[in-house]
Amino acid sequence: MSDNFAAVGVLLIFAIALPLIMMAVPKLIAPNKPNKEKLTPYECGNETIGRTWIGFKSNYFLYALVFTAFDVETVFLYPWALTFRKLGTFAFVEMFVFIAILLVGFWYAWKEGALEWM
Amino acid sequence: MVSTDFLAITPEIAVAVLALLLVAVALLLPQGARKGLVPLNVFGLLGILAYTVYDFFFGKMGPVFRGMYYHDQFADFFKILFLTAAILVILSSREYIGKWPAYRGNFYALLTAAILGMMIMASSADLLTFYVGLELMTITFYILVGYLPHDGRSSEAGIKYLVLGASSSAILLYGISFIYGLTGSTQLSGIGAQLGSSLTPPIILATVFLLAGLGFKISLVPFHMWAPDIYEGAPTPVTAFLAVASKAAAFAAVIRIYLVTLEHQSFVQTGVALLLILAALTMIVGNLVAIPQKNIKRLLAFSSIAQAGYLMVGVIAESVAGVKGVLFYAMIYVFANMGAFAVATYVGQAQGSDEIRDYAGLARRSPLAAAVMTASVLSLAGIPPLAGFVGKFYLFSAVIHQGYTWIAYVGFVMSMVSVYYYLSVVKVMYLGEGADLPDIPVHGAAKFTMVFTMLITLFIGLYPTPLAQMAISAATSLVK
Repeated sequence: MSDNFAAVGVLLIFAIALPLIMMAVPKLIAPNKPNKEKLTPYECGNETIGRTWIGFKSNYFLYALVFTAFDVETVFLYPWALTFRKLGTFAFVEMFVFIAILLVGFWYAWKEGALEWM
Repeated sequence: MVSTDFLAITPEIAVAVLALLLVAVALLLPQGARKGLVPLNVFGLLGILAYTVYDFFFGKMGPVFRGMYYHDQFADFFKILFLTAAILVILSSREYIGKWPAYRGNFYALLTAAILGMMIMASSADLLTFYVGLELMTITFYILVGYLPHDGRSSEAGIKYLVLGASSSAILLYGISFIYGLTGSTQLSGIGAQLGSSLTPPIILATVFLLAGLGFKISLVPFHMWAPDIYEGAPTPVTAFLAVASKAAAFAAVIRIYLVTLEHQSFVQTGVALLLILAALTMIVGNLVAIPQKNIKRLLAFSSIAQAGYLMVGVIAESVAGVKGVLFYAMIYVFANMGAFAVATYVGQAQGSDEIRDYAGLARRSPLAAAVMTASVLSLAGIPPLAGFVGKFYLFSAVIHQGYTWIAYVGFVMSMVSVYYYLSVVKVMYLGEGADLPDIPVHGAAKFTMVFTMLITLFIGLYPTPLAQMAISAATSLVK
């Protein structure tokens, strides 16, 4: 039992040591010639114009939620489709129950206006 | 094989279908209309309740789904409890919910989904199944607690419950991962066999994490901080359901996981000592802090913390008598607390205030509500002709029988303390003037709930045998 956890301990030590080493090595061997352009923080994309604290449409979240539901459905459908022949009628019916439950949720989201862009 | 397994979870399937049906029916109704949902929900739950009671007495018991799920009388007892509590919540809150803005989503479907989560918690035989049930219950409660969007306190309570609940779930899951690492199994039977009798630091850590996660739901004292704020901020019917059913579900899980699975392993050595201290602290803090409260929902929150301490005493006893005491007390706690909350819901929506001073003269303005509130709080305090006395008697006699006399004394003294603050509410209702407050006679479903809970509280206090026998058979179906 304790031997197995020794491996975890070794992994932990490596996990802590590796980033430290990776930060230390460039400090030791890399040439250090800073200028203004180099020292500005790296940022992806365009520079922001105006204030960044702006209202954000909550419809995005609703879309994301509905999307997640269908994403999860797909994850379940793939293995089911692969072993469909082996599993037989029972799994067939069960998957329809699953989809029916999801459809009730989708119907709810639709009717409550989650898919309408204001 | 498969068909009998599915027969065993009929109540769960029925509740799930009912929840979806409620969503669908609410969609078919014109926007905002809620008529018909209450009868559909109540009669649906009544049917499932009737089936569960039948199943309790005549059902074929045993583990199903390859030992992933227990179908025993212990689980059925808790299912009866959840369904009863839900029916009482729905009946008592009809007018309260009727005043909510019409565009809000489906309260009843969410409530029914929460019941499903609790049922899964009570009968799961696998830590992961249990966790799924717990999350189903908790996530539904996050929504229900923050249900009133333009009420700042409700939103605050919702956010607080979300943040604290998520962190407690994380701790619980961490404990489960420890147990899986130690035993290679998430099934309760497998864990019991694998843990062995030796006590190592990881086992202590795992059991303490599990206790912390479940203690949050029970509102055991070091993990009770959320309870008053959230009970106060949440809509009153949701508070009632949170105080009664969510707590009972967590107790079902504590008994199953701690008492049965970890029995004779780490529980005996760490669990009892830890639980003794926590139960004593819970009773002391809950009862003492309740005294200065000015808001009825906060008072009932601290009272429910104290009640969790009494219930924990029964778990400590670690015997059939102790589990029987917990089951019995949990059931009468439903009726006593639902009576109190039915009155709080009613007065809250009629007067727009939950302050205790606004209960002044309630005995004159609404005699029935005052009488029900009195009976409920006296039952919670454990005054003899009412059910609470019998429940406390079972709990404390079980723990004394196991040799922990001092915890029973703490319970006695704190019950005496609790009489003071419960009676101070009664004093305001009967002796207060309240001349400028309106008359608020009770009607309809709320009246039925109040009378029903009061009658049951009286009846069980005078004739506890049937419920006690149900509790005994449920406890023996569990404790091996």
